[in-house]
Amino acid sequence: MAAPSTSQLLPLELIDKCVGSRIWVVMKGDKEFSGTLVGFDDYVNMVLEDVTEFDYSGNHTKLAKILLNGNNICMLIPGGEGPVAA
Amino acid sequence: MENGAVSQSEGKDPSGFLSEIIGNSVTVKLNSGVVYKGELQSVDGYMNIALEKTDEYVNGVKRRSYGDAFVRGNNVMYISAD
Repeated sequence: MAAPSTSQLLPLELIDKCVGSRIWVVMKGDKEFSGTLVGFDDYVNMVLEDVTEFDYSGNHTKLAKILLNGNNICMLIPGGEGPVAA
Repeated sequence: MENGAVSQSEGKDPSGFLSEIIGNSVTVKLNSGVVYKGELQSVDGYMNIALEKTDEYVNGVKRRSYGDAFVRGNNVMYISAD
């Protein structure tokens, strides 16, 4: 039996709950981002603020505000601060 | 939030961000790692991008300059407001 709809949280609803808070984005390949989620669309393209980009080589790059293409996003971790804190 | 629909009325979603930064100086990073810095002329729903006064950086080193440049959207990893 399907759970009652009040207890079902769709994936995009979970992401919607993260708007305004920190999020950790793991891309396909070795790249990762952490930042404050400003907004996103149906493709999970996302607008992020106060972003740190983590390179495969361990380099960090700070970015004020970005639109991240959803095409290469693999996983989202609500509240995550990137591979440093983990 | 009814019917599981995602609310995106705040104007802070991707299209709102894009209209906010049109005309500004931006950094565009491609999946290949190549970076283009220039004045954002326009973007569409595919993330195709038209840039003016564009500088191309490969491995952080400036390679070439273009007066006008079109970047096909499928190559874009992110667009950053400078």
